[in-house]
Amino acid sequence: MSQPRNSYAVGTGLFIVLGFAALVYLATQTTSVANTHQGASYIVDTHFANIGQLKERAPVKIAGVRVGQVQSITLAPGAEVADVKLAIDKNYDKIPLDSVATIFTSGLLGDQYVGIVYGTSKKTVAEGGTLALTKPAEQLEDMLGKFFGAGGMADNLGGTYTVTATFSNVGTLSAGAAVKMAGVPIGSVQSVVADPVKLDAKVTLAIDNRYNQIPDDSSAAVFTSGLIGSQFVAIQPGGSPDALKNGDEMVLTQSAMQLEDLIGKFLVNGSSSTDKKDAGNGKPGDKSSDTPSPTTPAGKQ
Amino acid sequence: MSTRPVPTRNALTGALAQVGGCGLFLLTLLAAIPRSFRYVRETLRQLWFVGAMSLTIIMVCGLFVGMVLMLQLYHVLSIFGGTSASGMVVALSVYRELGPVVTALLFAGRAGTSITAEIGLMRATDQIDAMEMMAVDPIAYVGTPRFLAGLIAMPLLCCVFCAMSVLGGHLVGVTWLGIDNGTFWSNMTAVVDLRTDIVNGVLLKSLAFGAVVTLIAVYQGFTTPPTSEGVAYATTRTVVASSIAILALDFVLTAFLM
Amino acid sequence: MTDPVRNPPDDSTLVRVRGLTTVLNGKTIFDKLDLDIPRGKVTAIMGPSGTGKTTLLKHITGQMTPDAGQILVDGQDVPKLSREALYKLREGIGYLFQNSALLTDFSVFENVAFPLRQHTQLPEVLIRNVVLLKLQAVGLRGAAQLMPNELSGGMARRVALARAIVFDPMLILYDEPFVGLDPVALNQVLKLIRTLNETLGITSVLVAHEIEAVKRVADHVFLIANGKVVAQGDPKTIANDGSAWTRQFFGGDEDGPVPFQYPAGDYAQALGFSGAAK
Repeated sequence: MSQPRNSYAVGTGLFIVLGFAALVYLATQTTSVANTHQGASYIVDTHFANIGQLKERAPVKIAGVRVGQVQSITLAPGAEVADVKLAIDKNYDKIPLDSVATIFTSGLLGDQYVGIVYGTSKKTVAEGGTLALTKPAEQLEDMLGKFFGAGGMADNLGGTYTVTATFSNVGTLSAGAAVKMAGVPIGSVQSVVADPVKLDAKVTLAIDNRYNQIPDDSSAAVFTSGLIGSQFVAIQPGGSPDALKNGDEMVLTQSAMQLEDLIGKFLVNGSSSTDKKDAGNGKPGDKSSDTPSPTTPAGKQ
Repeated sequence: MSTRPVPTRNALTGALAQVGGCGLFLLTLLAAIPRSFRYVRETLRQLWFVGAMSLTIIMVCGLFVGMVLMLQLYHVLSIFGGTSASGMVVALSVYRELGPVVTALLFAGRAGTSITAEIGLMRATDQIDAMEMMAVDPIAYVGTPRFLAGLIAMPLLCCVFCAMSVLGGHLVGVTWLGIDNGTFWSNMTAVVDLRTDIVNGVLLKSLAFGAVVTLIAVYQGFTTPPTSEGVAYATTRTVVASSIAILALDFVLTAFLM
Repeated sequence: MTDPVRNPPDDSTLVRVRGLTTVLNGKTIFDKLDLDIPRGKVTAIMGPSGTGKTTLLKHITGQMTPDAGQILVDGQDVPKLSREALYKLREGIGYLFQNSALLTDFSVFENVAFPLRQHTQLPEVLIRNVVLLKLQAVGLRGAAQLMPNELSGGMARRVALARAIVFDPMLILYDEPFVGLDPVALNQVLKLIRTLNETLGITSVLVAHEIEAVKRVADHVFLIANGKVVAQGDPKTIANDGSAWTRQFFGGDEDGPVPFQYPAGDYAQALGFSGAAK
């Protein structure tokens, strides 16, 4: 039963071969398997204080060019720093011993990778050697803090003075977030800590020395930039002739809006007479204890 | 024999009877697998008809899906400055969802209908009865080989579809829109995982879809009234039922596999 | 290829039907039908349309199971056979479908070779010789490489006949073998049935309406109506047995025991002249 059906057999065979070729292509060329097939490489040790989101098999790059990958990430018991082994292609064996290994993020949303910036030493790192100079991963929060608050720049220019403000709820405000007045960054949040006695949040703001004429009855509010943006502290100037000084406390504060509250308000807007009751019921029960009505400035003390 | 049309009373019991009949028919098909081992050549021949003959449409559609996906993603991602991730997003969305689903829908339209129509016409022209009379089990000779062929062909077709989509994305993204070639591939290879994306996404899903589409097609062919009107109706029903089954099953599979 | 000859319970009867009762969709097709088909003869089963002649053939081959009764083919009770035994039995039965039922995917040669390929492991040379032999017998050896859609109705029927006899069966069932044939093709098929019966001794059962054709080919005729055998005998004499059934059937009267009207309610009532019109 062969002759008349041979054409089918050949065609079908071709089809199967093509299908499997496509599978092999997908599996080897477009997946992480592609990264494991490396040429000869040598291992270099590095130690990072913080690896952020770095993962094994993440690329190692010099001048943006991929030269190898992260072989392993371990934390020795008791150790404070992560031990990261880099597998670097044998072609790149002239890396100076004093080169700096840094953990970078590719773009805002991309994965992290190890970048090596060449030093000036004549000695090169060998198989099993260690790159002693490293820079840990930048935390997104730090970067955002810098970005929005220009805190680092303020530090450099003229120093800062700090004031404190107490909020019943800071939402997701974190250290490094911007402090803005009239929408312009004038400083950054230095710390956010919970007060163990009053059970609310004590926020320390570092404000650029240039802005030393802020009235001491100004109010501070936690705002959100856009719907999903990060939160920041906005200062609304008051009318007092006295200015805020280092170590002062801002009395008038407005806590962060919770998205739940906003939605609750939105939904019951039509029936204002039962506003408070409904808003209270609409909220998750565990929040009601520490979230007073967020619309009124919560004057503390 | 379970090849009689199921009497339908109303839409709900009718649909239930179809689902139940389909399930029972699956058992019949599976039970006939040992008997169809001797018809390996027939399975191979069906693999040619349902697989190799569907290759052109799958390749062309895969190419265009990849191209249009890349075009859309490029415009959206350029808002965030994330165009370098578009190759990766094309690969992920094709591997996990679009590849298996679109391949299965095309497969239902291309191969499923022809299976239903062919079996229906074989019944209308007494060819199925003739096989019975020649002591050849029509389920084992006609049904199971087509079912097995669909089962084998779908994952292969899906792989071809996905590969063509990635190439289409590369064509538009790299050669046309100017995304860096290395970025395109390295972003993709960094994120796409062999097990969750290729095995779970491409292979498992397409295997399940292939089984469902060919089961429905063969079942409709065997149960339709053997008239020209019945065959036409059954062909339509194959496409409708397959499409619903594919998308519903896709939801269930995604929920389980993710 | 057929089963080794065993000692049948009754040498002169190949198919014995006893008390066959079949109800389809609430309509009684057979009502305790008794029938004996003699071995080695050409038997015709005749009757008005819708009396279940084709159903009877399907009972004999086990494609349909009756509600009650016995069908003994070569001593085996068909409704009680297992699937394997039934398939084994069918290898000894040829069946000629009304519309030939050739497999449209395959050429004429492959169609005739199909049963051989499915049930034997014969070498290709032997298959070729057997197929060409059978095609020669129906006069279509030259058409071996044509596809079924290239054949005329008469040729397709002859190919189907060649396929039916490829295993040298003990019994051939012809379902309406004369329908739609021109006089030449009709004569060819008639001659083939006769020849196969005489040269190979194949028992033939044919279901037909064509009285003249049946008279030329059949040794024995059963006339079935209302689920029973109403007349049987030699085709030359059966027409003259004087019963109302045979008079209507062979005489061609439009009304008689077989009513012209399909059973219906009162005509006048259906038209709306209830009561008054009567």
